[in-house]
Amino acid sequence: MSDVAKDKAARLLKKRGSVSSLSSHEVKAKETIGKTKDSMSTVSYIDEPGQQDDNPRPAVQMENTYQLGPAKRFPVATVNNILKDVLTSYLQEEKYEAELCRQMTKTICEVIKARVKDLMIPRYKIIVLINIGQLNEQNMRIGSRCLWDPTNDTFSSYTFKNTSLFAVANVYAAYFE
Amino acid sequence: MEEFQTGEETTFVVDEISTIIKESVEGAIGGNAYQHSRVNQWSSNVVEQCLSQLTKLGKPFKYIVTCIIMQKNGAGLQTASSCFWDNSTDGSCTVRWENKSMYCIVSVFGLAL
Repeated sequence: MSDVAKDKAARLLKKRGSVSSLSSHEVKAKETIGKTKDSMSTVSYIDEPGQQDDNPRPAVQMENTYQLGPAKRFPVATVNNILKDVLTSYLQEEKYEAELCRQMTKTICEVIKARVKDLMIPRYKIIVLINIGQLNEQNMRIGSRCLWDPTNDTFSSYTFKNTSLFAVANVYAAYFE
Repeated sequence: MEEFQTGEETTFVVDEISTIIKESVEGAIGGNAYQHSRVNQWSSNVVEQCLSQLTKLGKPFKYIVTCIIMQKNGAGLQTASSCFWDNSTDGSCTVRWENKSMYCIVSVFGLAL
């Protein structure tokens, strides 16, 4: 069961306490048992180590800060501009090609995360989600719902399109209480 | 290779979440073929059902659920995500579901409080 082994390997990697993880969704050709022939579902959960510490950090005991809300709020407009900049500069002239776009999604993801981290908003957890697809006269709907605290948490989104591909970038920011 | 679950269960359990997602997707769009007029509603249904099942778990987590429904037409799609969080307590899970006329990709990100 290579799935179980991969899961355990991924969890072992996480144990080393790295703060950044990059995951991409690979296609796995495994049918789950007991499904009808109509539909098929696969679970993909692959972690690629980003920048990892060599020594595992010891667990940190945190004290209460007695702080009710964030000191500095998440700047949605700034992040919107970051997304627009990064996507247009990387994808303006590109054509959709499977291998190229696979690398491109991962690169863009890391770049956006690094630039959002540079804004140094304290106590916010960041999730960056990138979708790049081919324009082929098909339709697609992308939706998301979040269960969080709407006063502190927010998201930012940007869509880029050129003649042969489209790219959707979402950044979610959750306040860490 | 022991699991490192703490007694308080404040870690993200991938298997449990993936089962929940699969059931939600099957329930919401199970035997249907792609229809442009209904896709909006399906996407909302999938996500809302996932989210309500996740809240029933009662864990101290914030959740972000994303759903992509795409018509099968030969086009390619690449997805990547990069997360800045606490690796020991937070996690994500992605389920890819398909039938004869469409693909559905659901991602759940769980952030511990």
